[in-house]
Amino acid sequence: MLPIILLSVFGIVLLFMGFLKSKVLLLPATLVFILAALATTFMDWGKTYLYFQNMLLTNNLAILFTTIVLLSAFMVVALSNSFIEDEQAQPAEYYALLLFSLVGAIMMISFENLIMLFVGVEILSVAMYVLAGSDKHSPRSNEAALKYFLMGAFATGIMLFGIALLYGATGTFVVSGIKSYVYTNAYGVSLLLYMGIILLLIGMLFKVSAAPFHFWTPDVYDGTPGLFTAFMSTVVKTAGFAALFRVLSVSFVGVYSFWWGTLAALTCLTLLIGNVTAVYQTSFKRMMAYSSISHAGYLLIGLTALGTQTKQALVFYSLAYSLATISAFGVLLVVSRQRQDTNGVNENFDAFNGLARQNPLLGFVMAVSMLSLAGIPLTAGFWGKFMIFTTAADKGIYWILVFAVLMSTVGIYYYFRVIIAMYFREGAAEPVKVAPFYRYVLIAATILTLVLGLAPGLLEGLV
Amino acid sequence: MLNLIFYAFAALTLGGSLAVLITRNVMYSAFFLLLSLIGVAALFVLASADLLAVAQVMIYVGGVLVLVIFGVMLTHKPKPETTTGPQAARPNYILTQHRAWLWPLLVAAGLFTAFYSLISRIHFSLFEHRAPFQTSVDTIGKQLMTEYIIPFEIAGILLLAALVGATYLSSQGDRTNNQ
Repeated sequence: MLPIILLSVFGIVLLFMGFLKSKVLLLPATLVFILAALATTFMDWGKTYLYFQNMLLTNNLAILFTTIVLLSAFMVVALSNSFIEDEQAQPAEYYALLLFSLVGAIMMISFENLIMLFVGVEILSVAMYVLAGSDKHSPRSNEAALKYFLMGAFATGIMLFGIALLYGATGTFVVSGIKSYVYTNAYGVSLLLYMGIILLLIGMLFKVSAAPFHFWTPDVYDGTPGLFTAFMSTVVKTAGFAALFRVLSVSFVGVYSFWWGTLAALTCLTLLIGNVTAVYQTSFKRMMAYSSISHAGYLLIGLTALGTQTKQALVFYSLAYSLATISAFGVLLVVSRQRQDTNGVNENFDAFNGLARQNPLLGFVMAVSMLSLAGIPLTAGFWGKFMIFTTAADKGIYWILVFAVLMSTVGIYYYFRVIIAMYFREGAAEPVKVAPFYRYVLIAATILTLVLGLAPGLLEGLV
Repeated sequence: MLNLIFYAFAALTLGGSLAVLITRNVMYSAFFLLLSLIGVAALFVLASADLLAVAQVMIYVGGVLVLVIFGVMLTHKPKPETTTGPQAARPNYILTQHRAWLWPLLVAAGLFTAFYSLISRIHFSLFEHRAPFQTSVDTIGKQLMTEYIIPFEIAGILLLAALVGATYLSSQGDRTNNQ
């Protein structure tokens, strides 16, 4: 609860700081604000609290998801030093919107009442619609904002309809109340409940860009300024899966047999579309968009095979995915800005040609993050995939496991294209310049990825 | 009598929304939308949801619809190619096209069957229960200020984010264009 209040207040404070002549203070202030929110999050560690008449529930799982979200936001903000030099950028507004969207993300993670879920989704989405279009003079950015807005509003409407039907069936918005309704009426559950589950799932799957509700993702991720794409593909996805996990594992676990088949089919579709389409991309950013669809598929496996191991697997996978994605986007940002081609910013694979020779550090960071996304051993991504696959094996859903392993071999192909471009192709002669603080953030993310890859037990037993 | 009024307003709602779909002129569909939304508000009144009815009239009929009409009027319209026809003289004349109607029709028909079969098979436990009319404004107000105070307050953050975003996107304040 405290981080929500703090982040709301800090967001308003940042808007006022925008009046200052100098923009220098904004970036460190935002970092301090996020760290303060992170510190207050941990004050509730080990305890379970219900806030304000069953509105929010914090437990260790919620705290861990909040930590991942805040950590991702911290790294994204730390990589945003280009706003300070950019004349057109208005960093006070960007940072305020980022903090507000974090409020929404934390509400999605720790909601106990479906109204809080809805308001959280809306806050997160509204802030992201604006940030997607924050590059006002780029037609692609405008297109991304408009598409995201229209699709997101549509999805929100469907989700709200689902919540209304759930209320009609159970007479309560409280997650645990729905659970007790399902258990007391195990054989005579109202049909409205099933319809409500389907509509709520459709709305949420839209937000985490799972197939067949993924079609907005490539254009939106591609058009959005790179930094906010990184934020979108980590924070929104983590919060979305935390929300899905809470609602599925608490409310609807009693009707598991009803939804798991649908979710399993959608999982396979997501894996197939995400991985196969990513192979054909020439733009690195667009490839990352499809890769984020495919990672939504892997996370969905954990939900499909809902069991005791699921929450740990989801936490580990989200953390590994967020770290790797942010360092990949971090490298992309500097490289694309400094190796421009005739069309301006070059976000294609060939921008990385010969990068490892001029900038061994950037090359290494990118290589580790690609290996982690592909799920190669010694990186965090391997253990994330391992834990997710273990949940499926525990539940005995082997066909989905086989399919997922096949799809992750497809993934290796397109992730390695970047590594090949960096290490085996000839490229521009002059090295890319990286600011010192920027470099530290990338190094920290890479080290965390490697440490989690070598010692995956660090997170064990926390949830 | 009550049934008659209900069917009249239901017909207004359905007819209005059907006309929104059929007409090609965006201005006309905005006006038909007005009919449809007023019909819904009247249905809310018949269901003794007085606050919802007022909100429906204020937000949708009053706010959203005016926005739509302003949107139509302020949209930049290219000069029509046929300058001789009767349409050319009319202002606010935007035509939409009916394209690819087969798939939407199939989806709509599927949704209709799904919802119809759902509604016809559900047992509504309160359906036979006839409650005397009582205003819901008091109850909703008290609930908003007690039990639902947190979502009510945090909706302020949502509005603030939307406001900041709208100002940012619509502001002209970029120094590069002036150079």
